[in-house]
Amino acid sequence: MATSLRRQPGVSPSAEGKHHVKKVRKKFSLFSIRAGVDMPFLILVLTLLAIGLIMLFSASFAYSLQNFGNSYYFIRSQAIFAVLGTVIMLVISYFDYHHLHKFAYPIMIVVLLMLAAVKLFADTPIAPIRGGANRWLNLGFIEFQPSEIAKFSIILIFAHLMSINYRRMDTFRYGVAPYAIILGLFAGLVIIEKHVSGTLIISAVAMMMMFVGGTKLRYFAILGGVGGAAVAYLVFFSSKFSYALLRIQGWINPFNPPEDVDTWQTVQSLYAIGSGQLFGVGLGQSRQKYLWLPEPQNDFIFAIVCEELGFIGALVIILLFSALIWRGVVIALAAKDRFGMFLGIGIAMQAGLQVVLNIMVVTNTIPNTGISLPFFSSGGTSLVILLAEMGVLLSISRTSHIEKT
Amino acid sequence: MAEMKPVKTIHRTVFLLILLLGLGFGLAVANLVRWQLVRGEELRTAAIDQSLTSTFLNAERGTIYDTTGKVVAESASVWSVVLEPNYIEDDERETIVTGLAKILDMKEEDVRAEAEVDSYFTYLKRKTESSVKDEILAFLEEEEISGGVRMVEEYKRYYPYGSTCSSVLGFVGTDNNGLYGLELYYDDELSGTQGRLVRATNAVGTDMPFQYEQLVEAQDGYDLYMTIDMTVQSIIEKHLKKGVEDNLVQNGAAAIVMDVDTGGIVAMASVGDFDPNQPFEIADENLRKQIEALPEDKEEEAWNEALLQQWRNKAINDTYYPGSVFKMVTGSAGLEEGIITPDTTFTCTGAVQVEDTWINCWDTTGHGTQTFREGLCNSCNPFFIEIGSQLGPDMFYEYFKSFGFTEHTGIDLPGEANNLYYTAEQLKPVELATESFGQNFSITPLQMVTAASTIANGGNLVQPHVVEKVVDASGNIVSTADMSYKRQVISEETARTMIDILQENATTGTAKNGYVAGYRVCGKTGTSEKVAKWLEDKTKPMTYIASYCGFAPADDPKYALIVMLDEPTGASYYGGAVAGPVFQAMMSEILPYLGVTAEYTEEEAAKLNTTAPSVENLTVEEARDAIENAGLTCKVIGGEEEGTTVIRQIPAAGAEVPRDGMVVLYTSSESLEETVEVPDFTNYSLQDVLAIASARDLQITVEGAGLQSSNVTAYSQDITAGSKVAPGTVITVNFIEKDQVN
Repeated sequence: MATSLRRQPGVSPSAEGKHHVKKVRKKFSLFSIRAGVDMPFLILVLTLLAIGLIMLFSASFAYSLQNFGNSYYFIRSQAIFAVLGTVIMLVISYFDYHHLHKFAYPIMIVVLLMLAAVKLFADTPIAPIRGGANRWLNLGFIEFQPSEIAKFSIILIFAHLMSINYRRMDTFRYGVAPYAIILGLFAGLVIIEKHVSGTLIISAVAMMMMFVGGTKLRYFAILGGVGGAAVAYLVFFSSKFSYALLRIQGWINPFNPPEDVDTWQTVQSLYAIGSGQLFGVGLGQSRQKYLWLPEPQNDFIFAIVCEELGFIGALVIILLFSALIWRGVVIALAAKDRFGMFLGIGIAMQAGLQVVLNIMVVTNTIPNTGISLPFFSSGGTSLVILLAEMGVLLSISRTSHIEKT
Repeated sequence: MAEMKPVKTIHRTVFLLILLLGLGFGLAVANLVRWQLVRGEELRTAAIDQSLTSTFLNAERGTIYDTTGKVVAESASVWSVVLEPNYIEDDERETIVTGLAKILDMKEEDVRAEAEVDSYFTYLKRKTESSVKDEILAFLEEEEISGGVRMVEEYKRYYPYGSTCSSVLGFVGTDNNGLYGLELYYDDELSGTQGRLVRATNAVGTDMPFQYEQLVEAQDGYDLYMTIDMTVQSIIEKHLKKGVEDNLVQNGAAAIVMDVDTGGIVAMASVGDFDPNQPFEIADENLRKQIEALPEDKEEEAWNEALLQQWRNKAINDTYYPGSVFKMVTGSAGLEEGIITPDTTFTCTGAVQVEDTWINCWDTTGHGTQTFREGLCNSCNPFFIEIGSQLGPDMFYEYFKSFGFTEHTGIDLPGEANNLYYTAEQLKPVELATESFGQNFSITPLQMVTAASTIANGGNLVQPHVVEKVVDASGNIVSTADMSYKRQVISEETARTMIDILQENATTGTAKNGYVAGYRVCGKTGTSEKVAKWLEDKTKPMTYIASYCGFAPADDPKYALIVMLDEPTGASYYGGAVAGPVFQAMMSEILPYLGVTAEYTEEEAAKLNTTAPSVENLTVEEARDAIENAGLTCKVIGGEEEGTTVIRQIPAAGAEVPRDGMVVLYTSSESLEETVEVPDFTNYSLQDVLAIASARDLQITVEGAGLQSSNVTAYSQDITAGSKVAPGTVITVNFIEKDQVN
């Protein structure tokens, strides 16, 4: 950490520099200590986190009251995790991300073991089934989805490998094979959890990184072909995945779905969005959150945003997300080394992908796949992991060649 | 630095970024535009609609009154127990089942079955009294039941007069919807409009924290005021039932009283009827027992058949051949067209040949040469065949149509029957001949009495109706019956002539069994052969319908009455003998009630009763003088020593006594104990009745045809045979001309 700090132009040991630091220190006593992190990015993170908490409270209180007898059920735990996550984010921002080189393999192995454990210990206290899905791991003090960590893990290992082999990315041996094997392992373990959306995000993020990293385009064609064939096989020939096909039918025609297809959630989401119209029904005034829209605090929270804040409000939030992702990518591209760049791009792209997919699901642009909205959806561990990743980006920003405010 | 990061990496990154944000968000925003801005209103409406729960508020069904303001049908609040099984908490279900089963006296398993269905609304028990509601509410409070049981207010229909007027009133179903009669015809007016309470609720049905509640009050139904007078109705029904019993009538009977000027129905009776409070029970006990004795597979069919039969309003739902009653129509047409005058003569030989067919007069020996006046009083068929043939098919049909026989009368009751008749083109000589005296075409009793009213009111066809006015809850009149004439059918002069002849007919003619002293009754009898039924099975004997149609008083007719008895199987089947006495009994009771004043001819007055003077507490001598001064004789029971006082007189002071009757004086307390048994006078001649009565110290007031003719027999008496009465008691005996035919 010390070495990296020394290289920063803003903290050069010159007398003028010291004076400058003092000025900056006075101005931003907490966040800009040693004139490090990218303020626009940090502000965007905190803004979205704040809006997310407010919207979660609004969206969840009727549901909480009905199911837990307490309107604050979700917001209380979410707020605690938000504070915890913010602290972790700030701490990580001080942490030199280069140390992550050493953690790339260990984290990958642990995550792969945890994914395997979810399947091996299915339906035991270690890996309880929640809502019919076998995705959770319970370590006694904490319960989380290993697939959430898997997303970060694959970004990290890819960034690690790419930063080492960046000169040989155009070869199959160094530019395709290792990534394909790793992706195969992760995706394989997640797909057997029947976690379609998790598989989708992991694969997409992995391929985006390979694309950015320099893998030749022709390999994508092959990879895409294989992946497409696998998906087609699963959709059309495996009865286990027949539910995915039904969802697609319901997606095309949500108001008049084929028999046995339940599009209630989508329809209620569209009712909520439509009710918002241009200016929204007002914060806290949603009608659809009164148990009409199932789990309004989760994957479909954006529908309540649309209802309460209207088209204008939804557009503002989409722009905030766009700005965050854009800024994240800018930070990454300006990182002082390839590891930082690939790591940053991966994190920014993963967050971006999740936001885009979630909003597309809520607006019925794509079929309902079950992806949560970063900063908004309820879920303590995923919020902490997200904020930790933001911390990594902030850490990268400390040494990246961008203009600091 | 740039040299460390190939431009390719940046390009690829930016490409991905633009793809992700541009395409992803682009499509999402495009959809937001679609859902929020283009289809926003539609989706918002759908969202609001699904969250609005409306509760129906029942409207109170209007009351039906008779013309004097008596309540004939009304609704009272009752409570239905409603279960909302999906809102019942599982741990409370058993408490609810046991509790409600006990309160409602139901089987626990039945209640449980209802409480476990997947539903938000199911009736557990309809229409319980409010005491049951209070009990249930107390139970719910005591057991702290959180939800799933509700009491819903409904209305139950009550008919305080029971079966009286039932075939006109009809009845309602479980949902208070009119199923028959007035209840059906005026269902829209009576039922009002359901109200709605609209609330915003969440997906499980509890209220949202919005101030959203909209109440549309239920609008109670309108009240009906009938033209029917329940007193007249009761009188008509009483006599009609007696007529059915006396004459062993097999197929029911009908009677209608109509206000001849307005077409308002004052009474309309049908035998057999039912109790509208329990319309699905068979009212005729014998019939019910018969049906219950049937094997199970036939029972239901027979039961339903019997229900339909008892619900029928024979006065408008059934058709019949009017028979000779119709002669008043043919006669009117003949008079109006100048084909005949009352004095036109015709010779009846007992039969007449029409083309190849010989048609007999009812009196096959023939009536000889007679005027039209006499011909109608004789009810001579050949005379009317002659009138019909002179009118010709076109003219005859014109009058037939004009009197209203080719269309429904349009009365405000459901199910008026379609009648059958020949059109002008179809009326060949034989058909014309038979129609001229009322055979070979079918009409409803209502059509016949409407035609009679036309003659009675001076020639105008009226609009029959049962409801005089429809009134809303605050007493404003919503609509009134159309009482204007439909058209003038015959001239007043013709009508006047017919009235005159019909009065003569009812006084000395074939219709004299309908005679009521002092009330100037006009009438015509009818006996129709049920040819159509006989043709179906010629092995069975011919059956008949006896009818009598008339009106009173002759100088200014007010009320028309038709009596029709379907298949009498007693001593006689002729209209005069069977329907006439029923008509007479009805008229003599309703005309005084309806305010028609009696005007007696000298001859009638001579036969009228007088009143007994007050002689109690006088000495026997004083009493005897007073009684003899009044033109009566006296008889003393209990000894008459000098100065004995009269302690009681029979008949009482002011009571009616036959003109040449007596007053019995009681002078001792033992004498008060004396009684005589009332004999059964039925079928005895007038002379015999007077002799029998006199032998027992009883007195007779003669009514009916007995006042006009001596060839009569007793038909009914006002004190039942076998009762013990004091000597001197006056018994009213109704006489009819038993051998009265046609």
